Formats: sequence, C-alpha cells, structure tokens
Amino acid sequence: MKTQRITLSVNGEAHDLEVRTGSLLSDMLRDNLHLTGTKRGCETGVCGACSVLKDGDLVKSCLSLAVQADGSNITTIEGLSKDGDLHPIQQAFMTHGGLQCGYCTPGMIMTACAFLKDNPSPTREEVRKGLSGNLCRCTGYVGIVDAIMASAENV
Amino acid sequence: MRGKPVRDFEYLEPNSISDASRLLAEYDDDCRLIAGGTALILALRQRMLAPTHLISLAKIESMSGISVSEKGELRIGSRTKHAEIASSDLVQSGWPMLADMASCLANPQVRNQGTIGGNLCYADPATDPPGCLLALDAVITLVSSRGERQLPIDKFIIDFFETAIEADEVLAEIIVPKATCNSSAHIRHLRIAAEHRPMLNLSIALDHDGDQCRDIRFVIGAAVPVCSRITSCEEFLKGKVITSALAAEAGDIVASEMNAISDMRGTDEYRRDIARVVTRRALSDLFGLKEG
Repeated sequence: MKTQRITLSVNGEAHDLEVRTGSLLSDMLRDNLHLTGTKRGCETGVCGACSVLKDGDLVKSCLSLAVQADGSNITTIEGLSKDGDLHPIQQAFMTHGGLQCGYCTPGMIMTACAFLKDNPSPTREEVRKGLSGNLCRCTGYVGIVDAIMASAENV
Repeated sequence: MRGKPVRDFEYLEPNSISDASRLLAEYDDDCRLIAGGTALILALRQRMLAPTHLISLAKIESMSGISVSEKGELRIGSRTKHAEIASSDLVQSGWPMLADMASCLANPQVRNQGTIGGNLCYADPATDPPGCLLALDAVITLVSSRGERQLPIDKFIIDFFETAIEADEVLAEIIVPKATCNSSAHIRHLRIAAEHRPMLNLSIALDHDGDQCRDIRFVIGAAVPVCSRITSCEEFLKGKVITSALAAEAGDIVASEMNAISDMRGTDEYRRDIARVVTRRALSDLFGLKEG
C-alpha cells in the first residue's frame, strides 16, 4: 500500500490526512472523513451523485484522486446547512418534491449551488442543461427543475 | 457491488516540463501522466492501465492559461480546462467555434475537471476538441528534455486512441492561428440526449462572401476512426454560390467519402445517413438558406 500525506479544507475544517494514492476523492470523503452524504453512484463519471465543490467549481469526486485535492477547499452536502438550518436550495428540494429515493439528491443540490452562482436567474431550459451531468431515475426531473427555479428567486 | 479499487502508485509532482520528461523516460511504460484525470481515472478503475508511477502536471504553472501572441495566434496551455476555454473572452471573440464547442462538451463537471491537452492525448474518437482544432488549423507543441517540436493536429492524432507522442514527450501547448474564416460552426450529433459522447460531429470553418463560398475547411469526427477533413467536399464547395441543391450534394459527397465506423453508437450506414443530413443542414444554416 502506497500512501501520501495531503492537507485540505473540507466544509471549512482543516484536515491533514494520510491517504492511499489510489483512493478517489469520493473514497476519501466517505471512508476517511465519514462524510457519507456524497454518494458513490456509477463511479464512471456519468451519474453525478458524487458531485462536490472543489475550490468553488463543481466536480465529480469519483473522477478525481484524493491526492489531486491536496491544498484545495472542498464543499460537500454536509457543508451547506448552517446551525441546523437547511440551505435554501435544500429547503426548496423538500418543498417542490425534488426527490424521491434521495440518492441523487446531494449531487443535484451541489450542482444547483454551482449553477445558480454562475446563473442566478436561469430559464428552465438552462437549468436542464446545467443538470446534464446528473442523473435521477425517480423524479423525471420536473420537481428538481421546479426546486431550482424556486431557489433562484429566493437565493 | 463496487468495482476493484485503483491500484496504488507513486504519485510524483514535478515542477517543470523537463523534469516531467525525465521521469517519463525513466519509468517508460510503467508510468502515466495525469492532468485532469477524467479519462485516465476510468482506465485505472477498469484496470486497463496499472502504472507504478503517476506523474502529475498540476504543479507545472507554465502549462496553463490562454493568451494571444503578437502574431495574433491563440495559445492555450495544455492543462487549461474546457470550462476556462468556454468562458475566455479571447477565445469567444476570436475563435467562437472553439468557445462554443468547449461550452457544450460532455457535462459541467467534466468541463471543470478535464483539460484540452488530456483530451487530445487520449485520442478518443468520440469527442469534440480534435475536429474543432483541425478545422481551425491548430498545431500542438511537444516538449521533452531533448527539445521541442510542433505538429499539426492531424499529424499528432494518427489513429483510433493513437497519437504520435514519444514516450518522454509532454504536450505543452495548443496554438491556433489567427482565424481566416468569417463564419464557423461545430455541430455534434448525440445518439440520445442523455449521452455525452457524440456519435458524429462536424467542424466547419468557412470564409464566404454572402452566398459565395471563398474557402472552407470541413472536418468530420466521432463517426470516423480519427477526425479528418473531407477535401473533396471542400473542393466541391470552393468558389461556388451555394444553393440548397449544392448543400444537399455536399452531404452526399461527405456520406460517400467518410471512413465511417460501426460501434454501439451506430452502424456505419446509419452514420453516413446522419452525416448526409447534418452536412446539408449545417451548410444551409451557415449560408442562410431555406431547407429545400
């Protein structure tokens, strides 16, 4: 087993970790830091369930090595709520039925965060394009798009 | 069930291209370069590759960034991410086809992770950048500790997943000459909307005066083993006043000349049919013709 020492910030908390060089960013978040909100889905870069923010940019954590995150700032779904209050996008997903089984939801919400930062008043079509790296097999997307459109008005 | 984990490796982070080149020469086939990693990590996970050493380009600052030289050429560091190309004012104003291509490539996450150089070195036929860069007559710079050389895109990507890169070379930069076309379009055709890899794409750099075609570079990709110009179509269109009938005829030429492949995204016959239609529509759009 080959390991490497990395330092990074996750949800504002500094970490100094020894990770296997072959471990993915998603593995490190879930297995080393026990932040299991970030999901492993397809693990081939298709489904987007593992999406997190890396230095503010939306990335798929299954398509990134943990060692590549050395020195970066990562935000996961656990980093959105403040003092027990849900982030407005999380609240909107509940209000508008943006989830059923919930497995894709963390990735969808992280994508919505990054998307709305770049495009604060989108059209529905733009929202759908923005979600093109995330799959949901339950909702048919209508509730998800509704939630993001509603968030755009409130964020 | 989860797949097998990625095999561990030594992770090396050289600070210069010459150091990276020396490491490549030392470890040869036991090592791989990693830039964004979007393609490489899939290959590692599937154990198509199991290098003992990974050489990261992340610490080599000289390899990223976008600028325009005094000669008006666009220079893109190979470690530049697709999203940076898409949002660059320089690219958008001087080479709009390239910015447009990058803005629709794959999906938002991959555009934030994948690099233009990594994309070219992987030489996957089912992708958009190579054809677009070929239509724009781009060249790439390969650097090693022995020196550097430049190759046009079609001398660099030579076949299905195969490039002309030597074992100790690093793709450092992509250089796109000042655009001589006054109109251009990159068109991707997807098998289904949810799939991100095109089954066919066209990249067209056109210089026209109203409905007369002065010059054109016409490239087809994704439907062929390696993106390529269809010079018979270019010669057919050059100098002519383009009508709907000529646009349709150009589509027939492309369909018959292309070296179509068959795979899970479509048969060669289907790809020829799609090429015929997409060519006609693309030319009709570029020349403002009503579809006949």
